[in-house]
Amino acid sequence: MATHAPVTDSVVNSAPRRLVLEVLHDWVTTVDHKKIGLMYIGYALIFLVIAGFEALLMRVQLSIPNNHFVSPQVFNQLFTMHGTTMVFFVGMPVLFGFGNYLIPLMIGARDMAFPRLNAFSFWIASFGGLLLYFSYLGGSGLYGAGSAPDVGWFAYAPLTAHVFSPGHSTDYWTLAILLSGIGSIGTALNIVTTIICMRCPGMKLNRMPLLVWLYLVMSCLVFVTVSPLTAAQIMLMLDRYLGSHFFDTQAGGSAVLWMHFFWIFGHPEVYVLILPSFAFANEIIPVYSRKAIFGYPAMVAASVGIGFISLSVWAHHMFTVGMGAGANTFFTLATMIISVPTGIKIFNWLATLWGGKIHFTASMMFAVGFLFQFLIAGLTGIMLSVAPFDWQLSASYFVVAHFHYVLVGAILFILFAAFYYWYPKMTGRLLSEKLGKWHFWIFLIGFHLTFDFMHIPGLEGMPRRIYTYEADRGWMMWNMIVSSGAIFQTIGTLLFVYNMVWSFIKGPIAGPDPWDAWTLEWSTTSPPPHYNFAIIPTVESRRPLWDLKHPDDPDSHYE
Amino acid sequence: MTEPGKGDAVQDEYPTSDPNAVLLPQPTAWPLVLALGISLIMAGMVTNVAVGILGLLLSVAGSFGWFFQVLPHEAHESVPVTGEEIRSVSTRTLMEREHRHPESATPRKILPVETFRITTGIRGGIAGGIAMIVPATIFSLLKYHSIWYAMNLLAAGGFVSWAGASDTFLSQFHLQGLLAGLLIHGLTSLLVGLLYGAMLPMFPRYPIVTAGFMAPLLFTGILYSALGIVSPILNQRIDWFWFIMSQIAFGLVCGFVVNLQTRVRTPQFQALPFAVRAGLHSDQDERTHQTPTNTDEKGISK
Amino acid sequence: MSEVAVIPQNTKSAWVLPSRGIVGMACLIVAEAAIFLIFIVAYLYYIGKSLAGPTPHDVLDLPIFTSICLLSSSLTVHLAVSALHHGRRSLCSLWLAATVLLGSIFLAGTAHEWYQLIYRDGLTIRTNLFGTTFYSLVGLHATHVVVGLIMLSLALFFSLTGSMTSKDTGRLEVLSLYWHFVDAVWVVVFTVVYVLGR
Ligand code: HEM
Ligand SMILES: [Cu+2]
Repeated sequence: MATHAPVTDSVVNSAPRRLVLEVLHDWVTTVDHKKIGLMYIGYALIFLVIAGFEALLMRVQLSIPNNHFVSPQVFNQLFTMHGTTMVFFVGMPVLFGFGNYLIPLMIGARDMAFPRLNAFSFWIASFGGLLLYFSYLGGSGLYGAGSAPDVGWFAYAPLTAHVFSPGHSTDYWTLAILLSGIGSIGTALNIVTTIICMRCPGMKLNRMPLLVWLYLVMSCLVFVTVSPLTAAQIMLMLDRYLGSHFFDTQAGGSAVLWMHFFWIFGHPEVYVLILPSFAFANEIIPVYSRKAIFGYPAMVAASVGIGFISLSVWAHHMFTVGMGAGANTFFTLATMIISVPTGIKIFNWLATLWGGKIHFTASMMFAVGFLFQFLIAGLTGIMLSVAPFDWQLSASYFVVAHFHYVLVGAILFILFAAFYYWYPKMTGRLLSEKLGKWHFWIFLIGFHLTFDFMHIPGLEGMPRRIYTYEADRGWMMWNMIVSSGAIFQTIGTLLFVYNMVWSFIKGPIAGPDPWDAWTLEWSTTSPPPHYNFAIIPTVESRRPLWDLKHPDDPDSHYE
Repeated sequence: MTEPGKGDAVQDEYPTSDPNAVLLPQPTAWPLVLALGISLIMAGMVTNVAVGILGLLLSVAGSFGWFFQVLPHEAHESVPVTGEEIRSVSTRTLMEREHRHPESATPRKILPVETFRITTGIRGGIAGGIAMIVPATIFSLLKYHSIWYAMNLLAAGGFVSWAGASDTFLSQFHLQGLLAGLLIHGLTSLLVGLLYGAMLPMFPRYPIVTAGFMAPLLFTGILYSALGIVSPILNQRIDWFWFIMSQIAFGLVCGFVVNLQTRVRTPQFQALPFAVRAGLHSDQDERTHQTPTNTDEKGISK
Repeated sequence: MSEVAVIPQNTKSAWVLPSRGIVGMACLIVAEAAIFLIFIVAYLYYIGKSLAGPTPHDVLDLPIFTSICLLSSSLTVHLAVSALHHGRRSLCSLWLAATVLLGSIFLAGTAHEWYQLIYRDGLTIRTNLFGTTFYSLVGLHATHVVVGLIMLSLALFFSLTGSMTSKDTGRLEVLSLYWHFVDAVWVVVFTVVYVLGR
């Protein structure tokens, strides 16, 4: 009969020790969704550290006026590489990594729908990252000094034309993003197909965990956002290699067209990043509140609604271009409308917390931080969506503060929560709660020091992407505070990295279901066996493990 | 034991003969080779043609290799099932089960057992939106002797060119203004209704109170502080007394309409003990059922 | 195997989900359609904005015959699938061969058109905005035709060697979906380039 299996320490005890080369071969040739997921995550973490280091250099440069810590050229490369890396080689892969790992487990499948395509997508995206950073070594061919891209993460035309960026630096940017785009589309295709075609018996669409739903919406969004970017990159390449004139204003081409194409990708892209964050929150908050998620159908509807609306708001990044009153009004209103489904989500999370018996684990603390900070970021977003207000503040540090509030305050926070929550599933060991709480508080302080105070120089007119500034502008103190927050964030992150390494070796054994959770991934061992489930499960409700734990009172009676 | 429900494609494709093994796709390096090939072609464009040619060769090799992985049959390997059996138990409930509050039949949190449909909120929003026109028109008539003023003012939020318009201009009839005003007003009412409908399940008891006073106050408060930035023209001319009056008109009518609608029972209803269910008329006091939740939650496993 | 993590119940009712190939191809088609959409938007946006000639009106001829060939190949590929479905393999080979032939005629037509444009009219991708958008849009489509033709030729090869059986109908159907998509895109490209743009 089934017993609570003594969880063997598979890392240490597994038969004879295998050669490093064999292990490496295993990982390189794998088509297993769990290993690929972990590789995605690991690769994203490496780039997170690199891009974080770039941010640190920029903050050092800006901390005091008239500073010459790095050269202006290097500064331009730093913000370009930082932004590009964070969006394409940290954000996307880490979210795809979690998706890859969790989705088959949550829907009771043994692998993704196309396992080999999965491996291909991972590898091509990761080679994209390598290519981007290879630019530091060989920007203008294998010979000559390296030159990294320096045109900013949205690479506005005509800055990308040959005259203004000679050599290959911009080509590196284009090609790297093209590669990463192929990978993203491949993985998104895989995720959608997996969700539609691989669910275990009984896992109807309206019983899928919300995480799975959100990944479905996110992946569909990837098709209609990353593809336009790919198309635009192809045009840019044609311009640069074959001398066509898409964005060449000398020959009648339009620089504004590039802006439209970029932001048709760019805005939905930020939703591609935030939807998985919602997904994590949807799993973590109920479990630590000891309540089922409040308003499941409303949550699904709101997610789908957000997906659609986010396609119609891109030009709020272009108010200063001079699109005319009609377009400005339309995009202002469209942007504001997004707050309705988003508001529904926030209320549902609050309602889930309400009256729950909340466990403040490190994971939950990060999740609550996410809720709070996402709310504030949404509010500054609404402020920016008003065209006249945006004319004042566009391309200022206020905008930088706004989107970092989302990207760090919301997305990174919930990512940390996800790590604390699923790390035990992935490795079999719990992360240290004590270190986790330290991590939370230090990072929280650092975050608020940096990004709360970043709004102020923005309001005072400090433009983004400036190399340095005069002392008499009154931005000095704010920049000092902002930079000092970066130190706290660095310490917090290092603590987290240390925690991951330490817990991997010494952490307490987690067992299959450390959080007393309800979704299928907790019904198998930690880490799950290669085949996930010895027997494909059958589900009767949205919380299959609840049904199992409470046979006298299953959820299926209530849905 | 095989699954009669043939849902799982992996199982479909690889019928297992051995019950103690599972067939999984075979590891392969070809996707990696193809990815490397394509990446090298790209890298060739920024470095040297030789790199690109190498990439091309690798891509061709990778495509062939991949092709023979899936055709004519998908390559797979058999992975033995190592009999680790898991039984999922809730670490928290088992200890407490016996000591639980005797009346409660269930460890679950009882949420409101009756609530409103989300469409109820939308209906309320529409009704409220219509009602709001009344105080707004009275305000226009009293202060500017024109029924169009409020409508035009709203539209001015959308037309940048109207920002400097005079009061007389705003008092006249403009088709454009009427349409824009109607659009903005209608859409906002609808959305506020939708949001309200989504919030209703959180406090379904006294819709008139929440809709009639709380929501307008909240809304006005936010708007009052933000409007200066959002739409200076509106802010200059708005009469806050009348504004709040219209908000309250909206809220009261909206709440009233909501109150008229029938409530629907949430799935939670079935969680109630039969005795309670039988005698239940409308608003069940949720408090009595909170106790069991607490017992659910002792200690966390480590 | 006495107990499982999740109690299997209700195993009686059949649990049927859509086929992976079709869903995957549908996703690919959506993504590809988005790429084409952007190129088409660029084409429409730049109509009449070229600073120098030649203009579409001067140099473009309607490729009616080749278009008919391409569109009818949708029909032949469909017939190939249904032939395979009914196990009539030689018929399937025949229809596949017809598809490949029709597709090749289309491609040859495009090649001829481009040759004329480049050497007779002096229109290259660098000449003006018309050249830029024309070659990229039509070229993107032609690339898809080439990919499709390669796959169809492979299918034809396997059909001739007899290694493609009615078990593979699903696979061929997925391929035919792609081919239908390529044809459908051509209808749009044709309308935009040769009708609206001329
Ligand atoms: C969901 C997560 C969000 C993310 C990741 C995000 C990210 C960003 C980014 C990256 C930018 C700046 C782009 C640039 O100029 O380089 C930006 C700008 C902007 N965001 Fe957000 N945002 C999010 C949510 C929102 C929301 C909810 C709103 C409004 C309701 C909003 C409104 C705006 C506006 C209006 C701008 C343009 C500011 C300007 O360029 O002047 N954002 N956001
Ligand atoms: Cu945006």
